[in-house]
Amino acid sequence: MLAKSLRDNRRALAWWTIGISAFMAVYLSVFATVRQEPETYGTMAMNKFPGPLRDLMGGLTDFVSGAGYLQSVVYQLFVPMLFIVCATLLANRAIAQPEESGTLELVVTLPVDRRRLVLERFAALALALLAVAVVTLAVAWTISVAVDMGVPFDRILAAHTGVYLLGLLFGTVALTVGAATGRKMVASAVVGVWVVAGYVVVTIGRSVDAIAWLKWVSPFHYYADGRPLYEGLPVGDYLVLLGATAVLALTAVLAFDRRDVGV
Amino acid sequence: MTAVVQAEGLTKYYGRRRGLEDLTLDIQPGEIFGYLGPNGAGKTTTLRLLLDVIRPTRGLVRVLGGDPREPGVRSRIGYLPGELALEGRERAGEYLRFLGRIRGGVPASRIDELAERFEADLSVQMRKLSKGNKQKIGLIQAFMHEPEFLILDEPTGGLDPLVQQEFLALLREVRKSGRTVLMSSHVLAEVENVSDRVGIVRDGRLVAVEDVAALREKAVRRIELHFDAPVPAADFQGLPGVRDLRVEGAGVRCTIDGRPDALIKAAARHTVVHIVSAEPDLEEIFLTYYSDEEQHSARQESA
Ligand SMILES: Nc1ncnc2c1ncn2[C@@H]1O[C@H](COP(=O)(O)OP(=O)(O)OP(=O)(O)O)[C@@H](O)[C@H]1O
Ligand SMILES: [Mg+2]
Repeated sequence: MLAKSLRDNRRALAWWTIGISAFMAVYLSVFATVRQEPETYGTMAMNKFPGPLRDLMGGLTDFVSGAGYLQSVVYQLFVPMLFIVCATLLANRAIAQPEESGTLELVVTLPVDRRRLVLERFAALALALLAVAVVTLAVAWTISVAVDMGVPFDRILAAHTGVYLLGLLFGTVALTVGAATGRKMVASAVVGVWVVAGYVVVTIGRSVDAIAWLKWVSPFHYYADGRPLYEGLPVGDYLVLLGATAVLALTAVLAFDRRDVGV
Repeated sequence: MTAVVQAEGLTKYYGRRRGLEDLTLDIQPGEIFGYLGPNGAGKTTTLRLLLDVIRPTRGLVRVLGGDPREPGVRSRIGYLPGELALEGRERAGEYLRFLGRIRGGVPASRIDELAERFEADLSVQMRKLSKGNKQKIGLIQAFMHEPEFLILDEPTGGLDPLVQQEFLALLREVRKSGRTVLMSSHVLAEVENVSDRVGIVRDGRLVAVEDVAALREKAVRRIELHFDAPVPAADFQGLPGVRDLRVEGAGVRCTIDGRPDALIKAAARHTVVHIVSAEPDLEEIFLTYYSDEEQHSARQESA
């Protein structure tokens, strides 16, 4: 069951891995130029993005150091988002999509416990995403060495782990909503709203007192607040992400177990 | 022996929409049960309840003596969904092997044998299969692990006549080996030759369950008899089971309900030169007996 899910997704996985790697390769290789003219690029970056937009990009205060550039360009917004989209699409293929297309009907009549079915599909999601994460980590590290960024491996590892956990968490949100409703549009919408709101809250929203407290329910808070690229693995924060993922996965199992399939 | 299917007051509502209401039905081991009804009657709903795809709103259902929620019970069932969906780049053969593994192992030779019988090409990607060819794959997966109980939702949909014959032959083998089959269909003609009993659902209710043999007895048959000389109408009037009698010279025309015995004996008193008897149309019985519930219950009261 698990192996089959992975096999069914291998094409999508390959494309996502290539896509994210290519994205990082393009942006990171530019760093050589940025570093040669820190003044120009630093101010250019500041000017290009007016106030709130700059907040949205994570401040851009430090664009020209290795870690700063890596954070702003890769780990702040783009790569986490790519991971989240990839995770959501993969998660939709676990339950909601096959349910909508009708292929799940035969699968639930197989002699496999429904709870086990969901768990195996969750495991397949976690493993598939891990594969993308490992390969893209290798690419990130290789390029950062090539362009001499000067960021130690353990920091990149810490940030990349965060990206993985963030992607897995949102993927699991999609899986859970899909398992509970059988609708991939609903699942994608829930993820979309939570991602956008969660991201805004920890960037622009942090200076707005009225909504600042919302950061506690934003997964981005647990991903970025510990500044893994600068300070290393924020163990506590990441455990929160993992814990939330586990709770969601369990919810998915229970929700799917008590539901009519395909109605 | 415990019944293969035991349903008691089985009811399913989709929200406020009725799918199935108060179904009570037993299917015995070794039986082939034809499940008939018009579109939207509740056939698929019933079959899905038996496989735990959907859960009853009320009532009780046991399959092979257990709860269909238990994987162990489902492993003894072969199921062909009514709206079979097969998609993706995966080849049909690969998918069948996967299903076989999950069901505890099916020899490759068995899959090949069935594929040959149905003339199914297993090397085609599933998304490229035509409707009928998908149906063949669906049948192969339902039969391949030689389950004790087969649940087939409109098994002949999309199949060409040759393949339908092959399917019926396979059903007879299944019956011979003492296994049980529950299959749904819209038309009686499709199931009457292989079924022991048929049930009819209409608007979510099981309105009749009949033995096919008994049904044959009830069959309305048109008969024409020709004699060598004109016969007196009185000889044929009032015979049990004879209706719509018309005597014209040397010809007698009528329809008979059930056994033709009395008519034959009356005819034997004259010289019969020619007899025409149309095949009993069981379909017609359904239409006359069960065209609506009122008529049906009226009949039961008078009987
Ligand atoms: N998912 C669903 N949601 C709401 N109503 C449903 C659903 N599935 C079936 N129904 C309703 O339940 C009733 C029975 O449907 P069912 O699919 O069991 O009929 P059927 O006998 O299999 O018909 P067909 O011969 O067309 O396959 C119908 O009135 C149908 O509209
Ligand atoms: Mg149906």
